[in-house]
Amino acid sequence: MAPRAGRLIAGVFVVPVLLLAGCGGGSSSSNTAPAADQGPQTGTINVLGSDNAETYAPVIKAFESANAGIKVNYSQVPFDQFNSTLQQRLGAKDSTIDVYTVDQPRVSQLAAKGFLVDLTDLDAKTKAATSQASYDANHFRDKLWSLPMWNSTQFLFYNKSALKKAGVTPPTTDPEQRWTWEQVATAGKKAQQAGGTKYGLLLEQAEAYYQLQPLAESLGGGSGITGPDALTPAVTTDGWKKAMSWYGGTFASGLSPRGIGGFQTGPVFSNGNVAFFVGGPWDIGVFSSAKVDWGIAPMPYFEGGKPVTPTGSWSLGINPASKQQGMARKFIEFATLDTAGNLATTEATTIIPANTKSEAQYLPRLEKLAGSKSTGAAEIVSYEASKTAVGRPVSVGYIQFEEVMGKAFADIRNGTDAASRLETATSQLNEAWKSIK
Amino acid sequence: MKRTLLSAGAAVIGLLFFIPLLWVLTGSLRPGSETFARLSPLSWDSFITVHPTLENYSKLFTGDIGRATANSLLVSVSTVLAGLAICSSAAFALSALRFRGQTAVFAIVVLSFLIPFDAIAIPLSDMFRDWNLTNTFTGLVLPGIGNGMAIFLLRQFFLAIPTELVEAGRLDGLGWFGVFIRIYLPLSRPALIGAGLTLFLFQWHSYVWPLLMGTDRGHILGPVALANLQGQNFVDYGVVFAGAVLLTLIPLAVILGFQRYFIQSVSSSGLK
Repeated sequence: MAPRAGRLIAGVFVVPVLLLAGCGGGSSSSNTAPAADQGPQTGTINVLGSDNAETYAPVIKAFESANAGIKVNYSQVPFDQFNSTLQQRLGAKDSTIDVYTVDQPRVSQLAAKGFLVDLTDLDAKTKAATSQASYDANHFRDKLWSLPMWNSTQFLFYNKSALKKAGVTPPTTDPEQRWTWEQVATAGKKAQQAGGTKYGLLLEQAEAYYQLQPLAESLGGGSGITGPDALTPAVTTDGWKKAMSWYGGTFASGLSPRGIGGFQTGPVFSNGNVAFFVGGPWDIGVFSSAKVDWGIAPMPYFEGGKPVTPTGSWSLGINPASKQQGMARKFIEFATLDTAGNLATTEATTIIPANTKSEAQYLPRLEKLAGSKSTGAAEIVSYEASKTAVGRPVSVGYIQFEEVMGKAFADIRNGTDAASRLETATSQLNEAWKSIK
Repeated sequence: MKRTLLSAGAAVIGLLFFIPLLWVLTGSLRPGSETFARLSPLSWDSFITVHPTLENYSKLFTGDIGRATANSLLVSVSTVLAGLAICSSAAFALSALRFRGQTAVFAIVVLSFLIPFDAIAIPLSDMFRDWNLTNTFTGLVLPGIGNGMAIFLLRQFFLAIPTELVEAGRLDGLGWFGVFIRIYLPLSRPALIGAGLTLFLFQWHSYVWPLLMGTDRGHILGPVALANLQGQNFVDYGVVFAGAVLLTLIPLAVILGFQRYFIQSVSSSGLK
């Protein structure tokens, strides 16, 4: 006997109501208060991050041998899903995460949501151990929420043979002799015309705020966020409009290629297809084995503007739901405030340590990483950190900001008029921030 | 003439579907720095390499992907075994037995596969976390074993089994369990294989659930390990493509291996 259609249909419509009613009645039993005590002195702590396990293997090894009885278990979550997975698990008070890596511009949002343990008692130690920009990046509402692990900057990489073929004298490593974007565009075009490379210029993260903020800041355009609560968009300033019009123009003229996204850009440089490439310290390691002959120079600025470079990277924070906060604290202090510990976090991956003493030991290593090609890297890193570095804005609305701006950059890259697209971004930001104001 | 044109058209369309796959395969046999090097302009060597290297595959096995593939296999096979036992029992109850509320139960089953799993994954993961099932194989397998689609497929197949066979079995003294084991299951091999494949692929492809449940090195699954290859500052696309090829080959082998049972299933339903 086949089920009668009427009964089946009734079932299909009634059951969801029951299911929904059931869902409404259920409540999460995980709403426990954050653990007040520091937990056991020995055991295994869980660290969550988006880097591969090899990155943390040296620091974990060093920590475990210095702290008998404490083991560290590192889990990797794919970078693209890291923030969403983290939010979900922290929101559910997941006590299986003790320590996690914190993207510095997200400190304010994570702290505002109660996803970070207050570390203000380590304030003085942190201030002594790191640069002012790193120290500031981990603060929100006058409290310290995470400890800075790494730092970053950007370089202008150039293809030596392509510039030689075009008869262009390459830029030097001297920050005082830094090239302007206009100079880079002219030289890049020459290299294209001479047939040395297919493209003239490429930014590693062509649609990322991290890399494009310095363009607007160089022309005095500001960070793009203003107001006492840092929830007022300011991306239609003259500086922003001018910088983005220039940026859109590099794609329209064929100086930069469209359609190559995110971190697919590195291979374009290492294959010799672009004359100038703006990238991070990690690229020194990556390009060290490239066949193309290259050199480095400081990141350019706009003619008539001031040199500005990006900074900031990842920090370590403690999950308030962790039941092992004592051990977690020991680990993050070791990996950030301890010179040897912080240095160990940069052993497997090319990245600048945030601890100033570790940085001093690290820079000579970076300088030699790619032989003569990377000569001058250390000087550039030190100069930018003290003179030109500007961090990303601290705002509880940063996540939405980054997302909205990322889409605007993509559109500008693909040919949308910069000024009108920035207007659209402003209204999108106002809409997105309405609920958190 | 028309037939030839149609065949040629079909061949071209087939080839167009094949080209991206070929590119992935070729990319996996090239050094990562050359992955995007030959794309513009497109030429024959964008899709074929004359100097293949297995370097990406050897790199692959120094990382997590070897273990992750083994974990994925373990989770998928366990899901198929446990899932078939549960789904076929449920389908049997919904087709051979008569009980009050049967229609409502069937409606729930139909509904369960209309709701995307990702939509319930987050609240479900909160429950699993409370039960301490994070980073356990049990936590990874459990959501896959009660599959509404598999129950539905099996039930439809079971409904076509002649009731005379059941009555004869009952007269000969078989209990309901005997009828299920000795009559229904042996007659339903193609449907069981179809349902088993549904269960296998559900687990093999699952991404959100393993992210929420198990990302430690001991419990990492293939798709998560593949995504992990995409580093924050640098991506070796050669290795990513090699991982993608490896994770495609296993379900491909399973599907090709069981292909003849599908043909059998189609032809036997034609006889009825």
